[in-house]
Amino acid sequence: MEGTAVRALFSTDHRAVARLYFFLSLFAVLMGTVLSLLMRFHLVSPQAQVGWFEALWPAGAPGGVMAPELYLSLMTLHGTIMVFFVLTLAPLSAFGNLVLPEQLGAKEMAFPRLNLLSFWIAAASFAVLMASFLAAGGGPLAGWTAYPPLSAVGAIAGPGEGLGQTLWFFSIGLFCLSSLLTSMNFIATVLDQRGPGMTLMRMPLTCWNWFITAILALLSFSVLLAAAALILLDRLGGTSFFVPAGLLVADETIPHGGGSPLLWQHLFWFFGHPEVYIAILPGMGIVSHLISNFSRKPVFGYGAMVTATISIAFLGMLVWGHHMFISGLSPYSAIAFSLLTMAIGAPSAVKTFNWIATAWGGALRLTTPMLFALGFVSIFVTGGLSGLFLGQPQIDAYFHDTYFVVAHFHLIMGIAALFTIFGGTFYWFPLLFGRMMDERLGRLHFYLTFLGAHAVFLPMHFAGFAGSPRRYPDFTTFEFLGPLMPLQRWITAAAFCLAAVQLIFLWNLFHSIWRGRPAPPNPWEATSLEWSQVEGPVLRGPYEYLEDCISQNQQNPVKG
Amino acid sequence: MVTDSELQETHGGPPPPILPDLPPGGGGGDSGRPERGSSRSASITGIIVLMCASTMTFAAMVSAMVVRRGLNNDWNTLGLPRILWWNTIALVLSSIAIDLGRRRLRRGNRVVFNWFWSAGALLGSLFLAGQVMAWRELEARGFYLVGHPSTAFFYVLTWAHAAHVVGALAAVLYVEYRALRFQLGPGRRTLVDVSALFWHFLDVLWLGIIGLFAFWA
Repeated sequence: MEGTAVRALFSTDHRAVARLYFFLSLFAVLMGTVLSLLMRFHLVSPQAQVGWFEALWPAGAPGGVMAPELYLSLMTLHGTIMVFFVLTLAPLSAFGNLVLPEQLGAKEMAFPRLNLLSFWIAAASFAVLMASFLAAGGGPLAGWTAYPPLSAVGAIAGPGEGLGQTLWFFSIGLFCLSSLLTSMNFIATVLDQRGPGMTLMRMPLTCWNWFITAILALLSFSVLLAAAALILLDRLGGTSFFVPAGLLVADETIPHGGGSPLLWQHLFWFFGHPEVYIAILPGMGIVSHLISNFSRKPVFGYGAMVTATISIAFLGMLVWGHHMFISGLSPYSAIAFSLLTMAIGAPSAVKTFNWIATAWGGALRLTTPMLFALGFVSIFVTGGLSGLFLGQPQIDAYFHDTYFVVAHFHLIMGIAALFTIFGGTFYWFPLLFGRMMDERLGRLHFYLTFLGAHAVFLPMHFAGFAGSPRRYPDFTTFEFLGPLMPLQRWITAAAFCLAAVQLIFLWNLFHSIWRGRPAPPNPWEATSLEWSQVEGPVLRGPYEYLEDCISQNQQNPVKG
Repeated sequence: MVTDSELQETHGGPPPPILPDLPPGGGGGDSGRPERGSSRSASITGIIVLMCASTMTFAAMVSAMVVRRGLNNDWNTLGLPRILWWNTIALVLSSIAIDLGRRRLRRGNRVVFNWFWSAGALLGSLFLAGQVMAWRELEARGFYLVGHPSTAFFYVLTWAHAAHVVGALAAVLYVEYRALRFQLGPGRRTLVDVSALFWHFLDVLWLGIIGLFAFWA
């Protein structure tokens, strides 16, 4: 038993590493969800006295009432956990490690030991993040964007800005290292490990998306690493990269001088916007793959899909300024960033059109993974349309600090990506655990999640219209927000329901790991190589569904 | 020039056999793995990818410096310590030595390879020692990390470069360790090529950094 555990934790086998990533992400998403529920609870009953709040955070919740600092700390941890340890790790590292080598006809990743190392660096990063939450002086509360100057000057800036914030930056630095190693591994695997006959244009779209995502991650996490190093020097070494001269904090002049807080925003968002695509591109690949398979039709416009993926990634590197419209950016550069942002709509529309065209007229099989893929397309459109509003500097000036933005990025980045993670989990569960998940529970979970996600996030748009500011821990002290309280209570109730629905998924997952129906070798009648039962060179593209299900590397059966 | 037969006389025994040249191939579809561990083409791709990542990290710092300098008229120009130019020469020479050695190994001349590689490792270590002296000289002249960003950027860029050099030097010394045991040869030189490639990258990177501070900042 002990040997098995050690093997599971330190095996360099790509599927074993994938399982480790999967469970790390699962733990992270549970934790992130609990944090969001605590926040939603606090927003509707800010004066509630909860005994175990005080037991957990004596300084953050004196008398059981959550202090604003604790709320901000929950928000920071929720964002950091969800963006890095769920949306980055699950679609890219977990599913990528699980199937990328086999879909390419390779036996392993290019660097198996490095692969294991990147997982353990990511796990260490998560541990440091947890430590930051419980650090003396309060958990970090600067948000997942950690804007200086307050995040750069240390404990003088208030609770949570001391050790907690320092650990937060260390955690991010470690995560950057892990991601860089992962992307290096993915790129080398795609370029050098493909099996015989597997040309680039015969790769499943999942592989294309992981490949492009790895390039994005490589180019953006290396910049975040530099930014994290500079701000840690500001905090620990006394430099002034991001601390302006003459800064007055808590009635004291900060001795640093000569830096620029805007510099951080540029460096951070140069990473931060590509990060959005790092989260969503792998999911788009999974969706293309699933829709094609469950429509029994080739992907409509395979070449266009590849081109659209590359265009989205390329444009995604050039639009970081649209997060800074209200940061005092020159209006001229705002126009340029705005136009480039709008331009991303074109390849995104190509993709959406192609997904619909792939399903159109197909022999649809509405399995759970297919439902999640179609749900993704719907939510991608819903969440994407509000992006067209926010991409315009004039409209963003009003919306930027409101719940409209919260609704936008939760739908397009959170829920949409989560749907692809659910879809991928159901689809590749047989490869992870050798069994099938329950279809009926799966469909129930899908429909309730689809409804619940809209019930939570659609009303937030209206709160945003009404000017409800985000990041505020307490709405009750503002007269103009009073009429919105029923809406906020609805959102909180819906959020708790949505979280409860996820128990169905958890039950389905853990029950199926041990008690699920044993999986047949190719349960979804897929053509890609991770399900292939034969060895041999690849003969055709991935989405050619013939009368029988024939793998990419299988000879056509002789018609008798 | 010492040949393997002379080596046999001086060491009193036959050296380990030289492995034949690498098999052809690599890239999409090649599954032949001449060496233990990862394939040669993947290793070379990997190091190139890593070089792209390092380039981005340095580009981020340099662009931060360019932006910061443009924000205000308070930039202090740093008088570069003279030893930095000697360090530059040492690093360029080490790069040349390492590459000459790499070429000899490809032709099977392990003894000359060892000499060149050792010279490269020594020059690389000299570069690091010289960098430490340069930092000390700057501190003695009153340029500290703390203070104005114009000097802090010099420290950060040279530290980040030195950190890369330490890592690369570890790889170079590992090659040295195996080279002195004659475990490398034309058929076993991926590690040599990869280390050399990264070493040249650090050389070019250094020329960029010192050029920036000598002629711009």
